[in-house]
Amino acid sequence: MKVTVLQENLARGLGIVSKAVSPRSTLPVLANVLLASDEGRLRLSATNLELGITCWIPARIEEEGSTTVPARTFSDLVNTLPGDQVSLKLDLPTQTLNVRCGTSTNDIKCIDAQEFPPLPVPDLEGAVQINSGDFREMIHQVAFAASTDEARPVLMGVLIQVEKDKMTMAAADGFRLSVRKAVLATPVPAPVSAIVPAQALKELARVAGDGDEPIYMVLPKGRGQVIFRVKDVELVSQLIDGTFPDFQQIIPRSYKSRTLVSTASLLKACKQAEIFAREGSNVARLNIKSAQGDLQPSEVEISAISEETGKNETIVEATVDGGGLLIAFNVKFLREALEVIRTPNVALETSAPNAPGVIRPVGDENFLHVIMPMHLG
Amino acid sequence: MPIRLLAPEVASQIAAGEVIERPASVVKELVENALDAGARTIAITVEEAGRKLIEVADDGCGIPSNELELAVSRHATSKLVRSEDLFFISTLGFRGEALASIGSVSRMTITSRVKDAKEGARIRVEGGMAGKPAKVGATVGTIVRVEDLFYNVPARLKFLKTDVTERRAIDSLVTRYALAYPEKRFKLSEGKNVILQTAGDGDRRSILAALYGVDVAKQMLEVMAEEDGYRLTGFISPASLTRSNRKEITFFINGRWVQEVALNTALLQAYHTLLMVGRYPLTALFLEMNPRDVDVNVHPAKAEVRFRDQDRVFSFVQRSVRKALLAYSPVPNVAPSLWGTVRTTPSEEKSSSVGLDWAIGHDEGVGGGRLGVGSDQLSVNSDQLSVNSEQVIVNRQSEIVNRIPLMRLIGQVGGTYLVAEGPDGLYLIDQHAAHERVLFEKLMAQHERQNIPSQALLNPEVVTLPPGAAQLLLNQLPILSRFGFDVEEFGPNTFRVRAIPILFAGSDPASALRAVVEDFEEDETPLQNEVEARLAARVCKRMAVKGGQTLSSEEQRALLNDLETCESPRTCPHGRPTMIHLSVDLLERQFGRRGAR
Repeated sequence: MKVTVLQENLARGLGIVSKAVSPRSTLPVLANVLLASDEGRLRLSATNLELGITCWIPARIEEEGSTTVPARTFSDLVNTLPGDQVSLKLDLPTQTLNVRCGTSTNDIKCIDAQEFPPLPVPDLEGAVQINSGDFREMIHQVAFAASTDEARPVLMGVLIQVEKDKMTMAAADGFRLSVRKAVLATPVPAPVSAIVPAQALKELARVAGDGDEPIYMVLPKGRGQVIFRVKDVELVSQLIDGTFPDFQQIIPRSYKSRTLVSTASLLKACKQAEIFAREGSNVARLNIKSAQGDLQPSEVEISAISEETGKNETIVEATVDGGGLLIAFNVKFLREALEVIRTPNVALETSAPNAPGVIRPVGDENFLHVIMPMHLG
Repeated sequence: MPIRLLAPEVASQIAAGEVIERPASVVKELVENALDAGARTIAITVEEAGRKLIEVADDGCGIPSNELELAVSRHATSKLVRSEDLFFISTLGFRGEALASIGSVSRMTITSRVKDAKEGARIRVEGGMAGKPAKVGATVGTIVRVEDLFYNVPARLKFLKTDVTERRAIDSLVTRYALAYPEKRFKLSEGKNVILQTAGDGDRRSILAALYGVDVAKQMLEVMAEEDGYRLTGFISPASLTRSNRKEITFFINGRWVQEVALNTALLQAYHTLLMVGRYPLTALFLEMNPRDVDVNVHPAKAEVRFRDQDRVFSFVQRSVRKALLAYSPVPNVAPSLWGTVRTTPSEEKSSSVGLDWAIGHDEGVGGGRLGVGSDQLSVNSDQLSVNSEQVIVNRQSEIVNRIPLMRLIGQVGGTYLVAEGPDGLYLIDQHAAHERVLFEKLMAQHERQNIPSQALLNPEVVTLPPGAAQLLLNQLPILSRFGFDVEEFGPNTFRVRAIPILFAGSDPASALRAVVEDFEEDETPLQNEVEARLAARVCKRMAVKGGQTLSSEEQRALLNDLETCESPRTCPHGRPTMIHLSVDLLERQFGRRGAR
C-alpha cells in the first residue's frame, strides 16, 4: 500500500473513528485502526465489536493495499505533524508502515489487515432517511434519559420506532422518560422498531457533524445490528435485545394542574437548588401556588435544603392553571430535561405529590418528558 | 472452696450445651436421627420458633418399646458398637448424646412403634428425668415432641436471638437437609403454615428453587465431578451471583452438613479474582468419600471434620468447582488468564485486617529485627485496632472505649503525617485518614436525623423473592416505608416495588430490595451499609485533605482536636489505621536505655 493524504483530513478521520477503538482488549487488533485503499479514497475503520465506525477521506492512491495501525500511536503522531501532505507506505513482509511528512519519518509496526473483524456493508435501498440536524436534536433530547445501569440492558438503549413518515425516539431509566417525535420527508414502506445503545447514538451525534446532510439508517435483517450512514462516515452498532417498556402507558393522560413558566428562569432556579441538593439526595421541592385574588400571584417556589450546606429558595413567576401543589423531584433530572428544551416557555403538568410530572415545551408538540416525583420520608 | 462432683443434672446440662445451642440444633439432631432410621418422610413442626414446640415425625424403623428407656439415657446408641467403628461411621449420629441432651433441657415425649410390633410405646423425659414407658397406639416410626426448650436453662434462653432469626436458622437447616436428601420427603410447618414441602422425587433443582427462589435457582451451575474415591455434586453460583456473607456456602460431607474452613477456602480459591472483595458465592455442594478417609468425631455437633488427606480433598474441590465455573463462563478465552496465579495461602484473606497491616507498616517504618519484640509490646494497641475487616465500615458497632488520649501537637512530617505526643509516647497520625474519620462521623450524625427520601418508579417492578426472604420482608413491610421503599405484596413471595430509596437510584429496583432483605437477614439496620459506603466514598474523594498537603499549625491542631472527639478515632471509614503509636517503652528499648524483656 502506498497512499498520500492531507494531514488535516487524516487527523479528522482518526478523530472520528477513534471513539470505537478498544484500547484494552484481549484482541490486540481492536486497538488498531484499519487503513485501506477503497475506490480512490482511504478508508479508516475501528471497532470494539459493539460499535464500529468507518470514515473515508480523500487520498491519492499509488498502490492499493491495507493494514491496521495502533490507534493511539498513529493519531498522536498525526496530530503533531505539520499541515502538509502525509505519505503512507506499507512494507508488506514486515507489516511496517512508513509515515513521512515534511522532515519527519516514522516506522510503525502494524498488524495484518486480515485479522481485523469485517464490518457489514449497508444496502441503502429502503433505508430510513432523516435530516441530520433533526436527528441530532432527537438524540440530544432523548439519549440522556437512558440508564447507565448494566443490570437492565434494555434501559441503556433508546427505542427508535418508525411508521410511515413518523419517527419516535424514547428512553427511560426507570425514573424518567423522554419521548421525541419527528416527521420524515420520505415515508418508509414497513414499520421499524429497534433498541439502539444510547452511547452509540451519542457517538453518532458527535460524528455526524453540524451539516444538514441526510442520515440513512439501515437494519439488516436478522443481524441484530443497525448501520447509520452520514456523508463519508458509517457507524455500526449492535442492537439491544429485549422488550422496551410500553412507554405510552407511562405517559399520564390527564393532569390537575398545569404550570407555565419561562424555561430559562426555571432552569436557573433548578441549577441554584442543585448546588444545595447535590450534597444530600438531590431533592428539590416545587411549591406550585395558584393565584389567590390580588394578594397572591401564581408562582412556583423551588427550594432545596441540605443539613451540611444550608438552603436555597427561588420564586419563579408562573401561570398556574388548576390547584396548587407541593411536589418534590430529583433536581438533576429536572435540570437535565430543561436543558434540552429550546422553546422559551415550558409547561409542567402535575396531578398529585406521588403522581408523575410531565414537562412539555410550549409550542412544540414533538417532545415530552415524564419525571417520577420523590417522597421525603 | 472444696471440690465436689457435679450433680448429674448439672453435668448433663453442661454436656447438652455442647450439642444443643438453639432450637435449630434440636431440629438438626432429630432430623439426623430420622434419616439414620431410614425414614422416607420427615415432618417437622415448630411453634414460636421452636421455643414452645419442635416435633419431628418420621416413618423410619422406630424404637422397640423395651429399648425406649435406654434410648433417652446418655451414651446410648444403636449406631455404634465397638470403638473401631468410630473410624468407619456411615450413620449421621453415633455419640448417643442427642436424645439425652435434648431431654435434659426440655420436656420431651417420644412415641414410637417398630414395624412388627402390635402397639407402640411412649416415654416422657422432663429436665433429664425419664418417666416410665407406657403402651400407646402409634403408627410405624418415631415422633419426638420437644416442648418448652431450655425451660430449665434460663441463661440459654436469654441468649437466643429474635424469633425471626431462630426461625430462619431452622428454615435454612431443613431446606439444606432436603437438598442433601432429595429422595426423602420433607415437610416443615410453623404452626399451621407449611414453609417447605419437598416431593422426594430426587429433583434437587426444585428444592434449590424453594431455598433461593426460581430466578437464582435457574442461574446456579451444576457441579459433577468424580476422582479416585471422591465425588462432588451440587450447585454453585456463577460469578455474577454473590452475597455479602458466607452464610450461603453450604457443604455436605457424606450427607452431613459441615462448616469446614478448609473446604470454604478451597471454594473461594476457585472463585479467586472472579469475585469482588467481600462478595461470596452461593453454593450447595455434596462431597462423598470413603467414611474411612474422614474423621467426624471432632466436634460435638459434628460441624467440623478432619480429613485423612486434606490436601487432596482441598485440591479436588477447588479444581472441580473451578472447572464447572469455567465451563459456564461466558468468555472462555479470557478466563484462563485470570487463573495465572492459582494457589494463594489461606491466610491471605486475613492480611487485610487492620492489625496485621499495622504491624507490617510498623516493622518497615522503624526497621530492625529486634522490633519483633517491639510489636509484641505494642500489640495492645493493635488489638484495639484490629476491627476485623467485615466490621470495618460499621465501626459504630465496636463502641468499645476507643477514644484516644489528649495529645500535644509537635508538627507535620512529609506533608502527610502529624506527629503528636501523648501521655504514653509518640503518635504518628495519617492526616488524610484522620480527616476522613472526622468528616465521616460528622456526616453520619447529620444523616441519622434524616429520613431517606424515596424516588418513585416509572413502572412498578415486580420482584419475586425466595420464601424465607419473602416472609422476612413481609414482616418488615410496615417499617420499610421509613427507608424510602414503597412495596406491596403482589402474590405469594412476590412484591411490587413502586418506589426505592434515593440511595439506589440508578440501579435495579430488584437489587435494591434484595440488598435491604440481606440487611434484615443480618439483623443490621437497613441500608446502614449503603449509607456509610456512600458517605465514606464522598468524604474520601471530595472532602478530606490529601497526603502531601502542607497544613498550617492551626489546621493541624484543629484536626487533632476533632479526632479526639471521634467515636472511633483509630481507623478511617475504610478501616485503615489513622495513627501509629510508638510507646515510651519502645523508644527506650530502641535507644538501648532499657534491655529487651
